[in-house]
Amino acid sequence: MKTGILALQGSFHEHATALKQINRDYILIKRPEDLNKIDSLILPGGESTAMLKIEEENNLFENIKTLIDSGIPTLGTCAGLILLSTNNVMGKETLQSIDCSIERNSYGRQNQSFEALVKFHDFTGVYCFIRAPKIIAYGEDVKPIAFLDNEVVGIQKNNVVGLSFHPELTNDVHYLEWLESFILKGSNVGTL
Amino acid sequence: MKTESTFKVKKGLAEMLKGGVIMDVVNAEQAKIAEKSGAVAVMALERIPADIRAEGGVSRMSSVEVIQEVMDTVSIPVMAKARIGHFVEAQMLEELGVDFIDESEVLTPADDVNHISKHEIKTPFVNGATNIGEACRRIGEGAAMIRTKGEAGTGNVIEAVRHMRSMTKGISKISMADDNELMAIAKNTGSPYEVVRTIKELGKLPVVNFAAGGIATPADAALMMQLGCDGVFVGSGIFKSGDPLERAEAIVVATTNYNNPSVLVEVSKNLGEAMVGINIDDLDESEKLAKRGW
Repeated sequence: MKTGILALQGSFHEHATALKQINRDYILIKRPEDLNKIDSLILPGGESTAMLKIEEENNLFENIKTLIDSGIPTLGTCAGLILLSTNNVMGKETLQSIDCSIERNSYGRQNQSFEALVKFHDFTGVYCFIRAPKIIAYGEDVKPIAFLDNEVVGIQKNNVVGLSFHPELTNDVHYLEWLESFILKGSNVGTL
Repeated sequence: MKTESTFKVKKGLAEMLKGGVIMDVVNAEQAKIAEKSGAVAVMALERIPADIRAEGGVSRMSSVEVIQEVMDTVSIPVMAKARIGHFVEAQMLEELGVDFIDESEVLTPADDVNHISKHEIKTPFVNGATNIGEACRRIGEGAAMIRTKGEAGTGNVIEAVRHMRSMTKGISKISMADDNELMAIAKNTGSPYEVVRTIKELGKLPVVNFAAGGIATPADAALMMQLGCDGVFVGSGIFKSGDPLERAEAIVVATTNYNNPSVLVEVSKNLGEAMVGINIDDLDESEKLAKRGW
């Protein structure tokens, strides 16, 4: 089985690099038929408005939603987190996989983009926040799993994890270890 | 502790735009159409290249009001153009808070020898290039993203293809060279040695490389993607066509599905009139915008 990486647009090559480094087979997802034979999924960073527009052409997200609801380990970074949230983006419904409310570009514009130390899982690392979204609120069954100072920057609901930053731009050894066990074990991976 | 505007963060935004379409817009209304069609960013400029070509005169940074209006209207990143070497226009764009600055040959150059030193400015830069040496010099100056120059405002993709092929050849020459040859390559192409070494190490440019200049149809966008670009800029091709929204959407879907002919055929149906193109051979040397930049 393979890990699928949503590849409509954005940082999907960087996520692919991570999977290569942990010797995990992957497939780039552009169309519903690409979803056969995957047992885990990554939604990359990029522009959520663009992804929500591009998927309309073949209703890819309807199929992705079914797959996520079936319980496969799913990771979303930045725009990927927005897609997993219960937000609407420009009037369009997202995947509604994690009960949470996200504010897009919440830290400001690009000049306010930054690198910072994140406490994630059982390690810390310096990661990029690029025109990053903020997690404003989340439901009772949602666990915070990553922090920037006291701010929650990563959440998990069952097998679905959303991060507001870009571990794929760093792909450091601690993150790769976490990614490998998350893909294989889903929510059974240790959390904070 | 947060560290803002590191090179990694500047380059990182370009990484997030990959596989997407960046559209030229001259006002908020066009920006809205671009966002709705699935653009990953918009480029605010005074006049689109086809009009700059037709009307002549000096072309400058967009008005402050238009840039602000565009920034207030859309949620996607907003880029804006500064003249080559016009570091004050760049400082103003930084102050305005645009997300990317394009030091662009499409505007009238302000300096015929020097480009802007881009390291000190918080906002990331994209620069045009026609070959590997030009790309390396811009990266040396601090550019966080490169695009082919193509020949803007012509609706003719031939120059973008030429520049992309030239860049790819330059990269493969560096990748295949042994370490002893790198300084000679740097010397002969006018490239900073350190950038050449980095390309050798990575086997590709250290920053994202988009296609620009003359892309007018979904097929043009897919062609540039198949040639190995990371994404495309479309200027006059959209708002000089019969139905901008339809065409913009089609180019967006084509850029994602660039290697899927059945999708390309489907999105190319009923698009209305494409912009009228110009043959490059009919342009005087002095009319070629790609010649600007040093």
